[in-house]
Amino acid sequence: MFHQTPLKTATVLLLAGLAVAYGLSTGFFGLELLTEVAILAILAIALDLVAGYGGMISLCHGALYGVGAYAFGSATVLLGWGAPAGLAMAVGGGALFAWAIGAVTARTHGIFFIMATLAFGQMAYAYLFESPVFGGNDGLPGVPRLDASALGLDLNDSLTFALTCLALALLAYAVSAALLRSGFGRTLVGIRANEARMRVLGLPVWRHKAAAFGVSGALAGLAGALAAQHTMYISPGLLHWTVSGELLIMVILGGLGTLVGAALGAGVLVFLKHEVSRFTDHWHLVVGLVLIAAVLAGGRGLYGQLEHLWERRRAARRAPPETPAPDEETTGHA
Amino acid sequence: MLEARDLRKSFGALTVTNRVSLEVARGERRVLLGPNGAGKTTLFNLLVGELRADGGQILIDGRDVTGLSVDARARLGLARSYQKNNLFGGLTVRENLSLAAACAQGRARTPWADSLSDRGVAEAVDEVAQRVGLTELLEVPVDTVPYGARRRLEVGLALAARPRVLLMDEPTSGIGPGGIHAFHALLRGLPAELTIVIVEHDMDLAFEVADRVTVLNYGEVVFDGPPREARDSALVREIYLGTWDGDA
Ligand SMILES: Nc1ncnc2c1ncn2[C@@H]1O[C@H](COP(=O)(O)OP(=O)(O)OP(=O)(O)O)[C@@H](O)[C@H]1O
Ligand SMILES: [Mg+2]
Repeated sequence: MFHQTPLKTATVLLLAGLAVAYGLSTGFFGLELLTEVAILAILAIALDLVAGYGGMISLCHGALYGVGAYAFGSATVLLGWGAPAGLAMAVGGGALFAWAIGAVTARTHGIFFIMATLAFGQMAYAYLFESPVFGGNDGLPGVPRLDASALGLDLNDSLTFALTCLALALLAYAVSAALLRSGFGRTLVGIRANEARMRVLGLPVWRHKAAAFGVSGALAGLAGALAAQHTMYISPGLLHWTVSGELLIMVILGGLGTLVGAALGAGVLVFLKHEVSRFTDHWHLVVGLVLIAAVLAGGRGLYGQLEHLWERRRAARRAPPETPAPDEETTGHA
Repeated sequence: MLEARDLRKSFGALTVTNRVSLEVARGERRVLLGPNGAGKTTLFNLLVGELRADGGQILIDGRDVTGLSVDARARLGLARSYQKNNLFGGLTVRENLSLAAACAQGRARTPWADSLSDRGVAEAVDEVAQRVGLTELLEVPVDTVPYGARRRLEVGLALAARPRVLLMDEPTSGIGPGGIHAFHALLRGLPAELTIVIVEHDMDLAFEVADRVTVLNYGEVVFDGPPREARDSALVREIYLGTWDGDA
């Protein structure tokens, strides 16, 4: 079950500190990268919420992200609404779309769930790709950023925008952590561990899964709205399944079911991609090798591995090595 | 309290539940007997809704629940334990019991308060742990506790659901004489108004705790009556010949 351990808190603070320090010391291009990391961190946290804790390995989070971006883009560009309304549309739209996908797919598992989410995602992608209203393949340019001058912030400034996205990533983490520590979150973990038993205990499982997916979709929608404001332009590419795939890589690389690992994975992957692509066009290959190494090394991911080592050291310090206690009873046949 | 009317279930050509009817009164201790493959577990699966019956009706408290989902039936107070342990792997004993207790107390879906640290849930967990003898093991992951303890947790999960009707599928299988003795004590300590159906292979336990005995054979109810009559029934003896030496 989820526990906000001191190690987790320290890692969150360390990552946030590093990000702020990097933002303050870097130039325009670095800030672009940092913003991308912050936005993808929100999206990765959203995915880890359902995949890592609810056992729902989704391949439609790119689509939820894109739906958020399009909701924001069309509200502001096509309807001429203000950015706050666009933001609400993005979060609400992401939540609603995700809830619907969750409700329909709740009874499927494993590969069938993955395929069903993939299908939903690709349907949304194909729709927007072909829809003239939303600009089709060309997408929509001219997406405005939120006017936060009332708070004394100019979001058209790269540093301010990057730090705002970072703050929202922290907020997304806090909200997710709080949810995972609630009865709702505990039950979600119970569903991952043994869905059938949860049902026999009286839980309407599909409603729970759909609700969790909805919350995840709200966060993904938020990330999408930020992405639209970041590049000030949206296109169907945001919804493509490869976005979802890359997202899953981030989460697994950072540590599935660790929450902070998702954010870490987003950072590592974005920077890795950036650094490697300076030397070679085959950065996919390098990223692939890194992922394979991560999976072969135990599959715990970066943060998961750190936590594992930490726990082992602590256990060793608490109880010096001794002979293990013998089983108190002979086990019967299963 | 719990009633089955003319229940039927087949897997292909194999009829596993054949026009089974039974009525269990409130507070009754019913023991379900029958040789391997008689359809005892299948009957439980039908009663809780994990399997859909091909025909017949199931009633809880006089209410027809045949069309209700597994979770809806559970919310009416129906709980079960499994013949093969069916726990929440990777979690501690406390977390396992908390999940069940939170469901029973309407704490499983609150997006704010933590169910693990909820007072009512924690009290229920402690009480059940006490009953099934798991107090010492509460913080241990279920995958590392001994088999006997996992078996007790299996029953503990059903108890933590605060049922009105409790179905237990061979709760004493594989736990040895000491475990069976402890299980006797556990049964005696359960509230009198709790309705219990137990699938049991241990004849002595069966006849000691049962108010009434139902014997299944090839999916059919071949006997339904007080334990004394079951003991004397030639048919029951015949079915159990070889596994039971009569008046042991
Ligand atoms: N899902 C299924 N599909 C096909 N056949 C099944 C299925 N479940 C049970 N059966 C068959 O139904 C019959 C009854 O099985 P069931 O598990 O109900 O017996 P049981 O009385 O509980 O036996 P035991 O004492 O061994 O636990 C068996 O022949 C079994 O092989
Ligand atoms: Mg059985």
